[in-house]
Amino acid sequence: MNDLPRPSTIFLAAITTLVAVLLYSPLFVPIVSSFFTISHGDVDWSSPTLSTYWALAENHDILTALRTTLIVGLCTVVLSVVSGTLLALYYHGRRSGRSILQFIIFLPFLMPPIISGLALLIFFREIGLERSLLTVVIGHTVFVLAIVYRTVLMRLQSMSRTLVEASYDLGATGWQTFWRIILPNLSSAMVGGAVLAFALSFDETMITILVTGTQSTLPVRLWAMMRLGFSPDINALVALILMFTVLLCVLAARFLIPRQMATERS
Amino acid sequence: MSAGVTTQPAERRLSLLVTVLAFALPVIFVLVPLAIFLVYSFFSVDQGTIVYTPTLGNYVRFFTDPIFLPVFWNTIVLCVSVAVICILLAYPAAYFLTTLIGRWRYALLMLLLVPLLMSYVIKIYAIRSILGLNGFLNKALVAIGILQQPSTLFVFNMNAILLTLSLLLIPFAILPIFLSLERIPQTLLRASDDLGASGLQTFLRITLPLSLPGVASAASFVFVLAIGDFLTPQMVGGISGFTFGRILYSQFGTAYNWPFGAALSVALAIVVICAILIGERFGRSRGTSV
Repeated sequence: MNDLPRPSTIFLAAITTLVAVLLYSPLFVPIVSSFFTISHGDVDWSSPTLSTYWALAENHDILTALRTTLIVGLCTVVLSVVSGTLLALYYHGRRSGRSILQFIIFLPFLMPPIISGLALLIFFREIGLERSLLTVVIGHTVFVLAIVYRTVLMRLQSMSRTLVEASYDLGATGWQTFWRIILPNLSSAMVGGAVLAFALSFDETMITILVTGTQSTLPVRLWAMMRLGFSPDINALVALILMFTVLLCVLAARFLIPRQMATERS
Repeated sequence: MSAGVTTQPAERRLSLLVTVLAFALPVIFVLVPLAIFLVYSFFSVDQGTIVYTPTLGNYVRFFTDPIFLPVFWNTIVLCVSVAVICILLAYPAAYFLTTLIGRWRYALLMLLLVPLLMSYVIKIYAIRSILGLNGFLNKALVAIGILQQPSTLFVFNMNAILLTLSLLLIPFAILPIFLSLERIPQTLLRASDDLGASGLQTFLRITLPLSLPGVASAASFVFVLAIGDFLTPQMVGGISGFTFGRILYSQFGTAYNWPFGAALSVALAIVVICAILIGERFGRSRGTSV
């Protein structure tokens, strides 16, 4: 495919550049404007400043929401990684009922979040569970479980059976084999899944809006603020969050991509 | 893990726990809520309290009331348009990626996928400010001379929703198309070349048909994500950009008619399931056999 005629290559490269510009413009606009002050709805380009960042540090609403988001994210990661890994271990190499249960696990991910969120909202009401951070964590876990499950299951399937057999041959118990062979082999998939789970939880808005009580996570808080239009310190927040997400992406890629590509090649 | 030595008591306890969890978790937290939800759509509301007597009233209302079906239909058309725009932009980009060699290919793919993990709400906000009356797009169009004065064409209406959703969802179209293009064996392309086909002929007869499954799954991805969204319409749609998702959401908020909202969700779910099935059907038909 490398011997394309020049004009079509240029055309394709141009479209790709356009797509990249389109995708990145909503990310760069807030970052760039975070370094300038805004007066009368117009950006004052003459004097770059860090004042928006200082204002952010004093915005208690936002900081509280950020803390809530981190707490929810960490709880979600722990719950989804533990249960996702156990589910993957359970379904791996088992046939009966696997496809149905697997389908159920994937449902919240396939369905629009508004449906999953509303279903959970009614469910919590019916079982008498007050809306709180607990319901948010449950909602997030249900939502990200499929990703963690799939990540771990894929690693499990690419793992050579001979490793486990060798371990048994050398006299290890099932328990020892699990701790010494299976778990270490799964660990990078688990970490990768955890990073993805955290990133998804960090950004999850629709389910959260529906099942949260009085405490709101950062995206929900921002959503509420944006409907009124908001202060410039949000641009600073945006810039910081974007840097944080890039970091998460790099981490996820580090743990998930290299090994998978290596196994595909061999 | 299922076979092997299972004599240790600790291991047996663990496997029992895992078995219980493996069944309880998906059933309690996914299936039961969805089932209750479905049942709710057959209830009704009387003066703010839910009446637990089964009725088809919600569905009758959905089909007979002049408000809901047109919005439903318009939303479907909107989301199909979003899918078409995304594919028109994503296909050339994905194709370009497959012409690159080695590390560049994946680096660029990564670059085009990274915006996916960026905060959704923030992107909507930024796009709104770009499309707005004082936004970058209007300023640029005026500067080039295409517009005499800033236009309200792109803000708080259906166009704004169309543009914003397309911008947000392009990466979801790039990935499946890229994967299906990458799977096409180079030998086929070389054979076509050897047999005297021109570049365009090879593309139309070989590459395009073999990549259609990827296009189908891309379209179904984008459509499903677009139709399930209510944040974007809420934030950039204004009063005229009324979509099904917003109606649905309002039934749970302002209108407080949960059973009717549940019935609307069932309608939405049926459309989503159809879209996924169609995407699966065409996404699988050829690509994998090659």
